[in-house]
Amino acid sequence: MTIREKPLPMTVLAGFLGAGKTTVVNHLLRHAGGRRIMVLVNDFGELPIDEELIATREENILTLANGCACCSMGGDLFAAFSTALDFMPPPDHLLIEASGVAEPKRIANFARAEPDLALNGIVTVVDALNYEITRSDARLSEILKNQIQTAHMLLLSKCDLVGSQDIERHKEALRELNKSAPVLAISNGVLATDIFFGIENPTLGIGPTEEDEHHHSHESDFSRWSFKAEGAVDKTGLLEILEMLPSSVLRLKGIFKSSEDDQLWTVHKVGSYVDFSRLTTPENFSGKAGFVAIGLSSSNLTEIMDKAFATLD
Amino acid sequence: MSAITVFSAKKIITMNPARPTVTHVAVRDGKIIATGTIDDIQGWGDYTIDNSFKDKVIMPGLVEGHCHLMAGGIWKFVYVGYQDRIDPDGNDWPGVKTLEDVQARLADAEAKLGPDEPLVAWGFDPIFLMDRRLDKTDLDAVSSSRPIAVMHSNFHLMTVNSTSLSLANYVADMDIEGIAIGPDGTPNGELQEMAAMFPIMRRLGINFREVGRSRESVIDFGKVCNRVGVTTAADLINDLPDEDVAEMTDITNGSDYPIRLMSLLNGLAQPAEETSARALELKKKCTDKLRLGAVKIVTDGSIQGFTARLRWPYHYNGAPNGIWNIAPEQLNELVAILNEAGVQMHIHTNGDEAIEVALDALEMAKIQKNRPDLIHVLQHCQMADRAQFRKMKRLGVAANLFANHLYYFGDKHYELTMGPDRALRMDACQSAIDYGVTFTIHSDAPVTPMAPLFTAWCAVNRLTESGRTLGEYEKITVAEALEAITLGAAATLHMDHEIGSIEVGKWADFAILEDDPETIGAEKLKDVGIWGTVLAGEKHKIP
Repeated sequence: MTIREKPLPMTVLAGFLGAGKTTVVNHLLRHAGGRRIMVLVNDFGELPIDEELIATREENILTLANGCACCSMGGDLFAAFSTALDFMPPPDHLLIEASGVAEPKRIANFARAEPDLALNGIVTVVDALNYEITRSDARLSEILKNQIQTAHMLLLSKCDLVGSQDIERHKEALRELNKSAPVLAISNGVLATDIFFGIENPTLGIGPTEEDEHHHSHESDFSRWSFKAEGAVDKTGLLEILEMLPSSVLRLKGIFKSSEDDQLWTVHKVGSYVDFSRLTTPENFSGKAGFVAIGLSSSNLTEIMDKAFATLD
Repeated sequence: MSAITVFSAKKIITMNPARPTVTHVAVRDGKIIATGTIDDIQGWGDYTIDNSFKDKVIMPGLVEGHCHLMAGGIWKFVYVGYQDRIDPDGNDWPGVKTLEDVQARLADAEAKLGPDEPLVAWGFDPIFLMDRRLDKTDLDAVSSSRPIAVMHSNFHLMTVNSTSLSLANYVADMDIEGIAIGPDGTPNGELQEMAAMFPIMRRLGINFREVGRSRESVIDFGKVCNRVGVTTAADLINDLPDEDVAEMTDITNGSDYPIRLMSLLNGLAQPAEETSARALELKKKCTDKLRLGAVKIVTDGSIQGFTARLRWPYHYNGAPNGIWNIAPEQLNELVAILNEAGVQMHIHTNGDEAIEVALDALEMAKIQKNRPDLIHVLQHCQMADRAQFRKMKRLGVAANLFANHLYYFGDKHYELTMGPDRALRMDACQSAIDYGVTFTIHSDAPVTPMAPLFTAWCAVNRLTESGRTLGEYEKITVAEALEAITLGAAATLHMDHEIGSIEVGKWADFAILEDDPETIGAEKLKDVGIWGTVLAGEKHKIP
């Protein structure tokens, strides 16, 4: 039984205290690009929203001028998820800012189990400045390791404050702990929203980014790729293709008709996480299968993707 | 001048070493004006004698230092536990001893429900999970159309029927952690942890927090206390919004409400400064029967759930170390702020690493600002070793030890979680006494049933469910245990100047017993009969 019309996509943002989660959240809220993002903060600090973004405060819910909202979970996951799912108007995206000591997978499991939620991935922020110190604290090393290993995408933050050799060393250490998740170096929390949240609608194909160019200089680091296919798609074959993609492919979203059950499906992939969901709004289907990916420019995205998808039909 | 009532009794155990046992206690304006023989008392002037308790034993009203209001409201669901229990209204609920008993109990309850009501049960005991686990087919036999959810006693697991499973679209193996799969490859009805249980609870309208804060729950909680001789109880975590405080004030003010209720503010729901300000604001709302102003902080998880934070050598069975609910550095900051502001803290710590981290935080806070007016309390404090008790003494920190665990989970701790060495010294009441640490013992109801005399029995005998003695050395005497469940608990709640003993100037709060706990024998302490209580001189007979 689903209560909502379509599942609410949910992303878990994890990372140890001071890693820079709040900076990322504020950047995403500033560049929501029309998405109504609801942020649930699973911690007991101040709600981490920049003052000038806040339009109204009601009880413990902050509303932003651009339609986004932010609310403290108050240590009660049950109440917080109920609030988010019943929130009016319904948000387009749920972002959980996990507490510094949370195991993100435990939170992500809510989205996997609840039919009205759809997991959009676990993104863990790792502090390039303090990562090694925290890793060496026996009381915290396991949780930090857990946050890194269960992530579908890793953001190495504060990269403007460390040397390039250190960045490479940290990236290498992260890859050792988690081979499947892409590692992105970021500064000041700056990251394109469609890399963080995934591509909005694959039928729209690729367009220019909605991002304000002044806010990030990394867009040239990323490439986009798209693909359209006539006819139905072999879902099992597609899964095999997606599982073989390298971690330089950051995000993929697709919409297609399955040749196995003749049903419409959407698929999205981040890191090692692939999720197929039945398309509940068939009017969004143009008749053609469409796939869109974002990847690192340095990796020859087009070549990788074209080769991988050559075997699709 | 108002009248004096004198209660006579077969024996009055006072907990006042200057007059340990007497036969009469005189009450004026709800307070104790005199104790002793009738000759000792009559110098205070005219009195009315009340001989209702002449064949009974009077003790100071018992104090439960760690439980939850939900212990009242939970009874709106059907009890399917292994142990016999009595609900707030006095109905007997014999323990269900087989899966067939569980089914019969559920079928009975099912027949009484309206057409659209789900069937929700609680208290299901892990003892049934030894050879064959309860699954959906057992519950489908009870009803194949009505959603059923059976909450296990630890509140971390539930078993549901096929109707409930399909409500949450749990119909195929989706490879989701916490949704157990049966031999046929489909979910078998057992759901583990909140993430997997949430979709069912949402669709069946099961909300435990709401259950605990309802008016009926607060009232039923009073009845639960009354049945076990408790006159003061601490509700160990609450969000305490203004409307709830107003309602709790209203309910507790009623002369028929049989207990003094302390309720602790959740310290992890808002920033430290806000917690501190709110706690001080709540303190001003205290009445004689509603106590507010202390804060609860949860650091780690539970030992039986393998989520307690342990030091080396960690879990006996090799399970990974537990979880933090607050990072140690955040705890340092929170503890320093609350201590500085003069807010009493009750810190949940089960594992020895959590205890270490909490004690370090308290030590730093006390170096910054000594607050001799505050006793901070480590709650559960199960795995503290003797060095940690010495440190508690040094810092003036009290312990509320989870003695009921010895019985309910002791075998599991010996065999699985802690191994013999550490299981034999857990909930170390004797070590607390050795080093002069103020301590009490608790039930954490509804996690285990509230009954301080049973809790005292656990601390005295240290017997597990299977009959193993879990550490000879840490046993305490009956007298020590009785002090722990009265004065000891009162001290951890900053109330030992008002309650906890029968002496002049304190509230006339009594537990009225059918048997003498000092002579019934250590092994029978849990079987002491209870007539009811007296609160501020008013009799509250168990209905």
